[in-house]
Amino acid sequence: MGFLTILKKLRQKEKEMRILMLGLDNAGKTTILKRFNGEPIDTISPTLGFNIKTLEHRGYKLNIWDVGGQKSLRSYWKNYFESTDGVAWVVDSADARRLADCKRELRALLREERLAGATLLVLANKSDLPGALSLQQLREALELDSIKTHHWRIVRCSAVTGENLLEGMDWMLDDIASRIFSID
Amino acid sequence: MIILKIWSVLQWYLRPFIKWFLRKTTRLCELQRICYGEQAGAPRTCSVEKSLMLSRTQCVKEIVTYLDNVVNERRFVSEYFTDILDPSISIIMRAKKINPKLHESFSVSFRKCLESIWSYKSLIIAIEELRCCQFDSNNSEHEKKLLRLWDLLVPDDKLEARVTKKWQHIGFQGDDPKTDFRGMGILGLENLLFFATEYPQASSHVLSHSLHPKYGYTFAIVGINLTSMAYYLLQDGSAKTYMFNARNHLPSINLFHRFYCYLFFEFDKMWIESKPENIMEFSIIFKRFENAIRTELADPATVFRINIEIDTI
Repeated sequence: MGFLTILKKLRQKEKEMRILMLGLDNAGKTTILKRFNGEPIDTISPTLGFNIKTLEHRGYKLNIWDVGGQKSLRSYWKNYFESTDGVAWVVDSADARRLADCKRELRALLREERLAGATLLVLANKSDLPGALSLQQLREALELDSIKTHHWRIVRCSAVTGENLLEGMDWMLDDIASRIFSID
Repeated sequence: MIILKIWSVLQWYLRPFIKWFLRKTTRLCELQRICYGEQAGAPRTCSVEKSLMLSRTQCVKEIVTYLDNVVNERRFVSEYFTDILDPSISIIMRAKKINPKLHESFSVSFRKCLESIWSYKSLIIAIEELRCCQFDSNNSEHEKKLLRLWDLLVPDDKLEARVTKKWQHIGFQGDDPKTDFRGMGILGLENLLFFATEYPQASSHVLSHSLHPKYGYTFAIVGINLTSMAYYLLQDGSAKTYMFNARNHLPSINLFHRFYCYLFFEFDKMWIESKPENIMEFSIIFKRFENAIRTELADPATVFRINIEIDTI
């Protein structure tokens, strides 16, 4: 038995998953992560670099990487692609002005070879704000329906109210689990 | 862990006996022993605070509650100090049987401690208020402050529009800084503005470092992260060392700003010295910086001063 096989076995036993949270700056990545982890969300500053949280959810051990979204940091996103099981792409639903930017970055991400097998969850965050776009509008603006390379789903959510966060995450975990833990 | 627990329980029961014994042998109460024995500044003030908080004397407890209420009503300001503190001090001195004629110096240094302790508590409330106030583009005061920050940091380049990519030059994320203040609210802007106003040399020195082609970083965003750090150090009481050791200054918003400026100046130094590979090392270096500051603050003798000399070379 090779070292890698042992590692894989260990990973299966612990049911570990690696999730990458990406999106433009001010989309709400850190807020979602903190909300998900049950931490206070009212004292957040812009992320320079990254945050990592390891948490248990439904018997899975989740390693969630939240990487800063500002333009100068995006070229470093690739350093975090290795062995990612799921990508949570966070969108500010109320920021119509930068949707084109958002689409371009998402497209570039989906072309990455190292993310080829990853599940994509699009979190339409800040849906509680007035002026937030509808799910259908976002779907069209981001041209999600043309994505054939990845399992994906878009969920309308709000990190502030907590609405739909768990539902979205649960779908992603189920999708990942059916792919990587069902071999045995 | 268990030993520690037993020890703290034991201490709780032993404290009155130890205090009684010392009182009999030194003929001084605990507050006097602190005010005479401990060094002025953070060591003395922190010990007085601890002694007051642990006190089981009814009237001391009442005074503590009374002063807390004054702070919550936002009335703990210097013009009322005489009205608030004189009666409080004389009640405690009577309860502790301290002769005011014999121990005049005690009441002076005890008063100084009370002023510091409750000014710190007032400061926590004032800072929380600033933090909770979100940056609002419709508020002309907020807008004016933001534009002033630009003029102070980049005096020879005028902004031609309010929303412009130029903001990235001083390290905001996009073309409109308003969303960058986030959870730190207007406090983040006030901090940056104070740094640029009161320490023009130091702030332009730090800004120029942030524009370094290899070791550069985003000035304003780092600043807002440092606001967050200063805020937490204030909240959990770590900043007491700094505030209580500031000579001739009571804890105040200005002193908080000065604390922030020190942190900014020192973080910049550590960042440049670390020769980071790229900006992604920020999280690690920032954590290391926070640990270093916490270690320094744990020493009650610590005094922070910005050493500007290197700036004028």
